[in-house]
Amino acid sequence: MKKETFIYPSFKARMKNEYRIILAAFLFIVIADFIGQIEVPVGPGKLILFPIFYALILGIISGPEILKFFKTKEVKAASGLVIVAICPFIAKLGINAGASLETVISAGPALLLQEIGNLGTIFLALPFALLLGMKREAIGATHSINRESNLALVTNMFGPDSPETRGSLSIYVVGGMVGTIYFGFLATMTAAIGFFHPYALGMASGVGAGILMASSVASLTAVYPDMAAQISALASTSETISGLTGIYVAIFVGIPLTKKLYEVLEPRFAKLRHEPSEVLTRRQNEEKGKVEEA
Amino acid sequence: MRYIEWIVMFAVAGLGIALANFVGFDVGFLDSLPGILILLGISLVAVMISKIVPLKLPIVAYCSILGLLVACPVSPVREGVIEAVNKINFTAPLTMVGAFAGISISDQIKSFLKQGWKMIIVGVLVMTGTFLGSVLIAQLVLSLTNAI
Repeated sequence: MKKETFIYPSFKARMKNEYRIILAAFLFIVIADFIGQIEVPVGPGKLILFPIFYALILGIISGPEILKFFKTKEVKAASGLVIVAICPFIAKLGINAGASLETVISAGPALLLQEIGNLGTIFLALPFALLLGMKREAIGATHSINRESNLALVTNMFGPDSPETRGSLSIYVVGGMVGTIYFGFLATMTAAIGFFHPYALGMASGVGAGILMASSVASLTAVYPDMAAQISALASTSETISGLTGIYVAIFVGIPLTKKLYEVLEPRFAKLRHEPSEVLTRRQNEEKGKVEEA
Repeated sequence: MRYIEWIVMFAVAGLGIALANFVGFDVGFLDSLPGILILLGISLVAVMISKIVPLKLPIVAYCSILGLLVACPVSPVREGVIEAVNKINFTAPLTMVGAFAGISISDQIKSFLKQGWKMIIVGVLVMTGTFLGSVLIAQLVLSLTNAI
């Protein structure tokens, strides 16, 4: 078995580096949960603000770029702590899924097939990215929801300096900053249309990003308190499936499909924008190269 | 991470859950305790499995599967587990996740602002497309299989 490498030389070293983060987190919890849940009506839906958002914002502003309370090495340490803190939450959702196992099983086919729906990003976001003038960075940006594992994959496939990786990193950053709030809002707005069953909304929340799923499920259970147990059961099952399959879906379907669509769509959007097409220019250069070789 | 690091950090997470459950929902520490111990126990077993089993699955996947197993209808401890864990409000474990996640991205603000409005629009569309694609298929299949 491979020997595990440790970030810290000892447990004491970890505590020395991380005690300030832990104390701050306790303080943030007191402030955030004291404020509690706030509902703001927006159009047909509502924006529901949860303590997690205030804690997130408090964390962001206390960092090295604003209040400078935390140093860069503490910022790095905090991302490891996210996993520790989210484990008990995911265990709770697993228990909800076990408690509502009948619902989960009867929704089995839908649960498996809706994973394909996560590719919806490509069909919605890629054309808009091209319309806005993005080139190859659009491939990295729109192939998936772009959380940690996707970013690692794109970096690995295209190289750290590639436009694809730049795009993936951009969406990773944007998702981290606005995703938690937006995803919950998106769920309540979609619910407000009135067409979708709460079960469908619940399973759509599991997209392979724990914090986004949490935000969406928290909002949905506030809208449908009677179905809270089933919604969170379906969301957690869907999230687990996404977590297990997401990377393979990206490798074998998401990225190849985005690349293919990019080759087809980019010349058209370039024409629309009266710009030279990246795809056509690249093909011409390849042709020239072949002629010169001959 | 060493076991001792996991154990102490889980204890910290447990305190965070108890604190949020108390401040936000008026549930006392002693009332929260059994549920929190169950959640932390599952998390710790998940860590142990991920260290022993060579299969590279995320720890949270084990947490989710173990949680499902202890609460499923054939589990002998089902009733007690569900009752204890129901005392922990849904959003109580999340506040600490938010705090750590916020700190962990606090060095990306400048980078975020540099992205410009186009990337923010595309980011919002990426999330929208991922969600809508899933909800459309889910609704369709749920109706076709008469599950709703």
